[in-house]
Amino acid sequence: MRRGVIAAIALAAILAAAAGATARSAAHAGTKADTITVWVGWSARELAGFKKVVAEYDSKHPDVNVKVVGGINDDKITAAIRSGNVPDVVSSFTSANVGSYCKSGAWVDLKPFLSKDHLDVNVFPKTSQYYTQYNGKRCALPFLADVYGFYYNKKMFQAAGIKSPPKTMSELTADAKKLTKRNQNGSLKVVGYNPFLGFYAGNAPDLSAYAPLFGAKYTDAGGHSALSKDPAWSRLLKWQKNLVDWYGYKNLQKFNAGAADEFSASHAFEIGKLAMMIDGEWRVAFIQAEHPGLAYATAPAPVDDAKKNLYGAGYVNGTIIGIPKGVKHKDQAWALLKYLTFNAHPLAQFSNLIRNVPTTKESLNSKEIKPDAHFKTFLTIFANPSSKTTPITAAGNAYGTLIQAFAVKWQAGHAGDLHAGLQKLDKQIDAQLKQAQAGGVP
Amino acid sequence: MTETAVTAGAPFTAERRRARHRAAWRRRRLVLMLMSPWIVGFCVFFGYPLVMSVYLSFTHYDLLSSPKWIGWANYKYLFTEDPQVGPAVRNTLWLILIMVPLQVLFAFGVATMVARAKRGVGFFRTVFYLPALAPPVAATMAFVYLLNPATGPVNVILGHLGVNGPLWFQSPQWSKPSLTLLSIWGVGNLMIIFLAAILDAPQQLYESAELDGAGPIQRMRWVTLPTISPVILFSVVISVIAAMQYFTQAYVAANIASGQASQAGDQTVNNLGYPEGSTLFYPVLLYQHGFRFFNMGYASALSVLLLIVAFTVTVLIIRNSRRWVHYAGAVK
Amino acid sequence: MSTASVPVAAGTLVRRKPPWAVRRRRFLVAVADHSLLIVVAIIFLTPFAFIVLTSLMTNEQALSSHLWPSPFRWHNYVDVFREAPIWRWAINTFLYSVLATLGVLCSSIPVAYALSRIRWRGRDLAFATVLIALMLPPVVSVVPLYVMWAKLHLVGNLGPLIIPNWFGDAFSIFLLRQFFLTIPEEYLDAARVDGCGELRILATVVLRLAKPAIAAVALFSFLYTFNDFFLPLLYLRENPSHWVLQIGLSEFRSLHQVQWNLTMAATLLVMAPVIILFFLAQKAFVEGVTLTGVKG
Repeated sequence: MRRGVIAAIALAAILAAAAGATARSAAHAGTKADTITVWVGWSARELAGFKKVVAEYDSKHPDVNVKVVGGINDDKITAAIRSGNVPDVVSSFTSANVGSYCKSGAWVDLKPFLSKDHLDVNVFPKTSQYYTQYNGKRCALPFLADVYGFYYNKKMFQAAGIKSPPKTMSELTADAKKLTKRNQNGSLKVVGYNPFLGFYAGNAPDLSAYAPLFGAKYTDAGGHSALSKDPAWSRLLKWQKNLVDWYGYKNLQKFNAGAADEFSASHAFEIGKLAMMIDGEWRVAFIQAEHPGLAYATAPAPVDDAKKNLYGAGYVNGTIIGIPKGVKHKDQAWALLKYLTFNAHPLAQFSNLIRNVPTTKESLNSKEIKPDAHFKTFLTIFANPSSKTTPITAAGNAYGTLIQAFAVKWQAGHAGDLHAGLQKLDKQIDAQLKQAQAGGVP
Repeated sequence: MTETAVTAGAPFTAERRRARHRAAWRRRRLVLMLMSPWIVGFCVFFGYPLVMSVYLSFTHYDLLSSPKWIGWANYKYLFTEDPQVGPAVRNTLWLILIMVPLQVLFAFGVATMVARAKRGVGFFRTVFYLPALAPPVAATMAFVYLLNPATGPVNVILGHLGVNGPLWFQSPQWSKPSLTLLSIWGVGNLMIIFLAAILDAPQQLYESAELDGAGPIQRMRWVTLPTISPVILFSVVISVIAAMQYFTQAYVAANIASGQASQAGDQTVNNLGYPEGSTLFYPVLLYQHGFRFFNMGYASALSVLLLIVAFTVTVLIIRNSRRWVHYAGAVK
Repeated sequence: MSTASVPVAAGTLVRRKPPWAVRRRRFLVAVADHSLLIVVAIIFLTPFAFIVLTSLMTNEQALSSHLWPSPFRWHNYVDVFREAPIWRWAINTFLYSVLATLGVLCSSIPVAYALSRIRWRGRDLAFATVLIALMLPPVVSVVPLYVMWAKLHLVGNLGPLIIPNWFGDAFSIFLLRQFFLTIPEEYLDAARVDGCGELRILATVVLRLAKPAIAAVALFSFLYTFNDFFLPLLYLRENPSHWVLQIGLSEFRSLHQVQWNLTMAATLLVMAPVIILFFLAQKAFVEGVTLTGVKG
């Protein structure tokens, strides 16, 4: 029995060691240089680019040691903040979540830091200012923006006799049908344009990439959800479903299942299985790295026939970056944040590496930017006044989830009457928002 | 601990009484020491969460600020306004009413066949048990890959046979059947239990039934089934409880399958329940609200509801079982 | 079937190997008898076959509709270790499983003994609590427990996963108790007469007699914690250095843009330890599973 007691104590000691492992390793910092951790969503090549930018900061600031962790998504951010194991600087690709981050205090308010250093947020474009704050509370800063535009395969266009990229949705539909090739058994070999919601980022199932192209408004004057009131949404959904049905819903499903992952080197557009697509500006860097010989061109995305004047606009959002609640090294975190977001040099350098749009006026015009004909299109779209982003709400991106659930059902033909469905969707979005604002459920 | 100190005729001195008290005291101390892990465990890991769940279900709590009392608001939203609860309940019901019977039937069927096999029982037993050992994550990922509608081996082979294979995990109609196929593949645990029980059935009963002229089906109905009915009950109960906690396979399948449909790789989109919410089971919904949206209060309300339902269903099954389960004399 | 070529006493049955034709017919009959079983067995093994085949393909082949790898890329299994920190995940998993299993054994055996071999007031009530805890879906207690661990700042490491196992596991207690009940009282009485205290009896007599049940409990604990995904998902997700194999495997795709050939190789590697353990401890496994069903 004595042996048992000793064994039990030994095991308990091992237990305690296993349980306290992180606690000890976390407290390791603070010897010579303080270690601050930065969480970003990038991975692989893009992460390497970010690390390069940070390395320069690191070398200039011997009092800090910056550790970069990639592959982060919003789930991990929210979980970390709740559990108390937070990094010092955190960034997210889902700018729509800034509403819930600011409102709940998950990301700290940056106004005191900004006023202490006499920094003016007007150096950022208006849209970028919008998606980094909620209700006047600024808890994030923009760090390179994303713009969606149109990519098309020049070789396929030549072969099909199409002279210029489509400017309207009807032109897009016609061109898509011309460029599509099928196999003998009816399955799709080459898809002209894949409108399937959920296929690659351009078809984000919450319709965010298409909304600015149809001039669709999310809310009415009273601030209520307007998906059933603004006819642009019905036009968008009807156009989308018609094209899906022309391809055949199951055929597209099979094509998508057989297509490679979006960020792999066998991306459908890059290997010639897809003739046209709407995608973000980052794709330019991917093609440059993976398929430099691809004969393609970029242009603004086609717009609704009823709103031809919108041509040149696109969907805008971006990476947001901030300081989570519960951070120990607040001042050093802020110093890094300030450097990354306000200085033209890191912005231009990083923009060159991953081909995202720089977010300050100074960096947009910086001489450090390496010119690229493909990339220039996106800078133009970014500057277009009709380019819009999705609304920032107290519920964060939750309304996107509701829209997605409906849109996905709609394109499968399971949603019944479109107008009735949109009205129900509006009610759900309003109810959800009310709960979030009152501090209730979702 | 039995008392061995008392002998007939010995006078009941106060000393004897004290000795007995001391012995009893020692026994109680011993029991306390032996039971202490469970006492702590039950209170901390069962009792406390139960009470806290009920309390939190009446609050709004996001772990960043202290819980805010909102009364019945969570339950009101749950029963009247949440668009996802109905489908989640229906999906879990699907599991209980379709997947569990199929699992039990298949396990029973295979066990019967293996029991009748004269050779290679060990080999067959191994073959059927092996998939049950595969970790659920690994097995699910493998199945999603194998059932890829375009390039997966299953549809390729079906294509060679001239059959246009379904979309499996990409189709809302086929996603739950696909998960059922996965669970049937892993039915080895149940099968071994059935096999042992069938082999245990007393031979005399079979022999006397045969003498009475009973055919194989009648023998099954009147001898096998009643004899192993406790095991059937056990299998049904644990399968139903497992169905009400079904999470890992649904979560992994939705993630992988939606990635196959090539969604944006940075997960800005909520994949749970892919496709079209067909794999959104109740525990998955609970996870979404508790650990994606961090609505701890609402998630607690969901868990309280689950607890009530689970308890009721289990009691119902066990109560109902008295009609058809025969225990071989032993006291339960 | 033994061949008797030694002369034996009259009256004993002498069995000679039947002629080859008869044996072949018997074999074919056996195959026909078991044909359905054989077909089902083959279907059950097919997924494993495809996993192995895919793990030996190149990435492009894995993404296409080819069924047979050509060439055979055995190097995939080396690449898997380069792509992801599999060893670290394995160590974390091992730590979790071993410590949890030890905890289950150390805490459940005393409780089961007290519930089965000692008579005391309130024993039935205590056993009822075990039964109730058995019926509770763990999903229900997840939220408050997470809150508790978060407040203790233990989220992100293996503590929340290991510690509860040191305070009793309802299923193990139940199983052990049922088994302890079958031990004849004579063994224990004999030890008591020899002057052993209760604890000594537990440690020596009972443990030795209950080896199959204890082995079963240990095996199941190990298996359950090795395969566990839900708890690690809750507590370890944002701390990749503490990932266990199941989390790592599920995230293997998003880290490296789904190379299905490597993913299938990783899947096989994750399945391997359990399958190897099974082949080593087959008897204990089957006995254990049977125990749960028959005693349950």
